[in-house]
Amino acid sequence: MPLPVTIADDSTLSRKLIARSLPEEWKPSITHATNGREALEAYRAGKADLLLLDLNMPEMDGYQVMETLRTEGLHAFVIVVSADIQPRAQERALALGAMAFVNKPLDAFQLNGVLKDFGLL
Amino acid sequence: MTVDQLSPEHSDALQEVVNIGMGQAGDALARLLDTFVSLSIPRIRMVELDGIMDVLHQMVGREDRVSAIRQAFFPRLRGEAIVLFPEHRMQGVAMLMGYDLAPDTQQQQEILLDIANILVGSVLNGITQSLGTDLGFSPPSLLASDVPVERVIDTGSVEWRHVLLVEVNFSLDEHSFRSHMLLLMAEEALVPLREVLDHLMEAL
Repeated sequence: MPLPVTIADDSTLSRKLIARSLPEEWKPSITHATNGREALEAYRAGKADLLLLDLNMPEMDGYQVMETLRTEGLHAFVIVVSADIQPRAQERALALGAMAFVNKPLDAFQLNGVLKDFGLL
Repeated sequence: MTVDQLSPEHSDALQEVVNIGMGQAGDALARLLDTFVSLSIPRIRMVELDGIMDVLHQMVGREDRVSAIRQAFFPRLRGEAIVLFPEHRMQGVAMLMGYDLAPDTQQQQEILLDIANILVGSVLNGITQSLGTDLGFSPPSLLASDVPVERVIDTGSVEWRHVLLVEVNFSLDEHSFRSHMLLLMAEEALVPLREVLDHLMEAL
């Protein structure tokens, strides 16, 4: 069974770019979420063992998603994919439980390196 | 040419391209001021020039006085970047720039020119990288100083009837500072813009 993956990003272009960077065999198990609320719904539906999470989203941002996961004791493997490349954004995301932080514009090689580092590939 | 030539897909792609440029701008500003910069979600829309005052009022508030810096960009994508700074929020950023006392008018303008140059340069560089098209830009110049917001843009002197408006906002978490950036592009810039966005989307 491929890993259930959710890509949470308000940009269609960005979600497509991220999806294209993932292994071909994962494609059927990828869910798209356009904001943090949808990302949490996907998680609760068992579709987000791996959550590729943008930070800057409408309705509910990536930080709020991670806060909710932590408050409710939920365990998703979160990799933040964000254009907010400030060191403090990275620190804040990691402190909230993100396992890794990948900068936009997305480098597929870097994302795959992170997935390999954590034994997901 | 009609104003709806930027499809929802084009708008989405442009929003993400601007988002990436904005992230780089936020990082550059954060490094300059040694503080965390909150970034808005970029907003893309076509507006009629006549309606631009309403947009400015929504952004900065009807009562606020602002200073504004402009930079033109060109050649393939041609337009104007305008950075607005609400006047009453100037003190916080002056402190971050190392001024103990309230800066005088000239110092204040230098601060604004520096910040605008960083924001515009980073956003446009981000766009350039994502779209793979070269952009040049003029040095920043003072467009307006401490004026009511409706006096920033003299709509009578602008030849365009519709403009593509790209709006991004930066604010500093711990300080009362906010700035707004508008990228205004004329209708004629929509054709090359659509081409470069198509090229980006075709790669998917």
